Amino acid sequence: MASTAPWAVVFGGPSPEHEISILTGLQAERVLTAAGHDVVPIYWAPTGDWFRVPAATEAKDYLEGAPSGSTPLEVRVSGEPGIYRRKTFGAERVEIEAALLCLHGGAGEGGGAAAVFSLLGIPATGSTLFAGAVGMDKLAFGGLMQAAGIPSLPREAVSTIVEPTFAGPYIVKPRFGGSSIGIEIADGVDAARALAATSIHLRTGAVVEPYRPELVDLNIAFRTFPSLEITPLEKPLRGDSGSALYSYAEKYLAGGAGTDAGLTSAPREFPAQVPDAVAARARELAERVAEVTRLTGIVRVDLLLDEATGELFVNEVNSIPGALSLYLWVPLQPAATVLLDALTEARDRRVVFPQAGFGGGAALRAAGGIAGKLVGLDGPRA
Amino acid sequence: MIAVLFIPFALPAMLLALVAAVPIAARWLRVAQREHYVPGSTTFMAWLWVRREPLTGPVALVAAGATVAAALSPYSWLQVMALVAIVLTALLPWGMPVRGTSKKLAFTPRLVRLAVLWAVLHLALGILALFVLGTAGPALVLLLSAPLTDLALAIMAPIEKAASRRFVVAAQKRLAQVRPRVVAITGSYGKTSTKNYVAHLLSGTFATVASPASFNNRLGLSRAVNDKLVPGTEVFVAEMGIFGPGEIRELSTYFPPEIAAITVIGEAHLQRMRSTDVILRAKTEITERASTVVLPIDDPRLARHAELCTTQGKRVITVSCVPGTDADVVLDPGAAAGDAAVGAASIVIGRGAEPAPVAVSSTGHAVNVAVAAGIAYAAGVPVAVIAARLGDLPGSQHRAEVQQAPSGALVIDDTYNANPVGSLRALEGAASLAAERGGPLVVVTPGMVELGPVQVERNRTFGAAIGAAGGLLFAVARTNRGALLAGYASTATSEAPGAIAVATREQAVRRAVEAAGDRGVILYENDLPDHYP
Repeated sequence: MASTAPWAVVFGGPSPEHEISILTGLQAERVLTAAGHDVVPIYWAPTGDWFRVPAATEAKDYLEGAPSGSTPLEVRVSGEPGIYRRKTFGAERVEIEAALLCLHGGAGEGGGAAAVFSLLGIPATGSTLFAGAVGMDKLAFGGLMQAAGIPSLPREAVSTIVEPTFAGPYIVKPRFGGSSIGIEIADGVDAARALAATSIHLRTGAVVEPYRPELVDLNIAFRTFPSLEITPLEKPLRGDSGSALYSYAEKYLAGGAGTDAGLTSAPREFPAQVPDAVAARARELAERVAEVTRLTGIVRVDLLLDEATGELFVNEVNSIPGALSLYLWVPLQPAATVLLDALTEARDRRVVFPQAGFGGGAALRAAGGIAGKLVGLDGPRA
Repeated sequence: MIAVLFIPFALPAMLLALVAAVPIAARWLRVAQREHYVPGSTTFMAWLWVRREPLTGPVALVAAGATVAAALSPYSWLQVMALVAIVLTALLPWGMPVRGTSKKLAFTPRLVRLAVLWAVLHLALGILALFVLGTAGPALVLLLSAPLTDLALAIMAPIEKAASRRFVVAAQKRLAQVRPRVVAITGSYGKTSTKNYVAHLLSGTFATVASPASFNNRLGLSRAVNDKLVPGTEVFVAEMGIFGPGEIRELSTYFPPEIAAITVIGEAHLQRMRSTDVILRAKTEITERASTVVLPIDDPRLARHAELCTTQGKRVITVSCVPGTDADVVLDPGAAAGDAAVGAASIVIGRGAEPAPVAVSSTGHAVNVAVAAGIAYAAGVPVAVIAARLGDLPGSQHRAEVQQAPSGALVIDDTYNANPVGSLRALEGAASLAAERGGPLVVVTPGMVELGPVQVERNRTFGAAIGAAGGLLFAVARTNRGALLAGYASTATSEAPGAIAVATREQAVRRAVEAAGDRGVILYENDLPDHYP
């Protein structure tokens, strides 16, 4: 094997989707290990501590925090950046070829982890800080779709100053946060505002969309390495619970207990039984989303279908999708290939932005004394 | 050293003592662990066995006699009596299992430290005593193992506290970093349920973390903070338990509450506090640092405390379960309160608000629900949200769960209940259920413990209530057997099915199922770990 150091699988993280992230991480760890790769499983606890956990842990080992046998890690961004294993005297650097980020929601999926790993000098899957952040901001993403001319439902911020330009009833969604957690239905703007003011998930920002229960959810995934590839369409099935929304519980907990829990075994129709035109249109939209978002790695695009008209809308994008959408790749690629390609992409096709140079010192030389920059900053004169 | 070998039977006595020390250590260290490492608790438990278990006292006396004989006898062959004493001591307390079945010895780092000190203490004293008393020495040391265990606990207590400081310091750092609002709840009972209700009511509005079940002391709460208090947590709900006065004051300096609440002042932990007035004073310490207090004012003592808090300039949210009371939160338990059935209860949150329906299973339960609603109200959760969330309160395991046994009998599992009021209430509920079904009422209970000066009286009362209800009583184990049976006999009529003493719960279960038939109701009230006689 060409790689000299093991791959890392990073999971957990500060996010409401912490637990699902553990499931995704453990699944990915098993897939890579079974394919004969060396894997360092790294658990990012809700408290913020990082741990190297033993190989082949089970989900239940995480009920009380990091599993027994875990070693605390130190994460250094300055002074030989990298991940270190604490020892009795000093610390030992953990050599990592590239990291597979399995961090759903929160800072992990929203670009934060991408920034951290770029500071650590460790190549990581998932997209750049900037692409991830737009994917995590539903308002920004909606605006991006609109600007790019990609069909999507109107989406506006819940505001105390202006009313939405479209009438209710509304779906109220957390503006930041990647899953179905915190989604509510509101009849009118007042109800939407009340929800936005009190719900823990909506207080930090909420968006409204027209509530259209007749629309059908469809999911599709793409990956960008070795070249852009798109999966068949999937239709997640809503339970008979009578809920109008495809809830977090349905999405993640439907599989029941044990190894079945999580997206891999959620009820679905796959491939989705849709007209060929819809399937083709979905591929086209996925391709356009890939281009305009500049997301890389393994990405899931959530679509809404109006079955009456055949119209498709892009709803949202998941830069680190549940179970890394491995179940969508089954007809095309083995799971190990999908993960390995993502890791290889991270290592070999890095996205590097122009870095901080010193501009030749021109600005510094021209600046003069800092005292001169303090003149007039004392506030209004009495 | 060589001289020791010339003491007759010295070598066999030492070897035998080493072997005997294993079961003795297993028993007393388990007791120490079960009794929360409180110095003195081991000797207390040993004394309880001497008084309650008929063979323990005599066997201990024989062992002591044999030791004295060996020590004082002018004949060296009588030193062999020490060996007899050691063997007998290894069997004490008579009937206490070496390995617990209900609660096993857990090899935590703290226990290992205690065990090391225990071994060193016994070994050192044993060798010393061997020189002074001859073979009687090791026998005497083993005979005094319970007080020696307490000595080890007393030595370890300050060391353990110092060693645990780093966890406390880490928790303080985390708390300062995350800066959640702290809600502190105490009470003689009901605080765990109330805490769970509060967490449920708050969690839709605030990022809420509650301390786990029994993590209610300085170290437990620190661990809860270290393990669970993630960045972004807005409210930390802390259950504060007490072993004595001053403890909640200390807890409040570590975890200063913004909102403090008391559920009930009752008789739990009387063993350590001696009187309910002491308990009241100890519990009300919780309000000292809080700017908002939530108090159930149906208890006149807490009503007075509410007035005091008002004069101190605190925001006081009063709570009542008596309809028509002038309080901020009033829960009307409805007509069916006191029955096991769910009443048509309603709750008014905030003066002048509309009543909202709520499900409560008993009066005691109603207080917890009302206090929880009061806390949520105080924290700023919208009334509509509280009312909506009251509809699906989380249940508390093992507390008055009704299940159907394969035989058809109804089983009420109230095994985690340990308070006099709750027990009588559970009995009332079970009796009305049995009457409804037209079947026998069967009560399996070892009685209640940790009630100090009123323990005998309260168990007598409970026994009497079972007799008055015409129930069949299985009095388990010996700790409260006398009081339960005497109480039962004082009220039971000639038609009463009778009271039966049984050694273990397992035996009681078998006979209770038989007696209940397919229409009966079996109430399991409280459960004692097997280090009790």
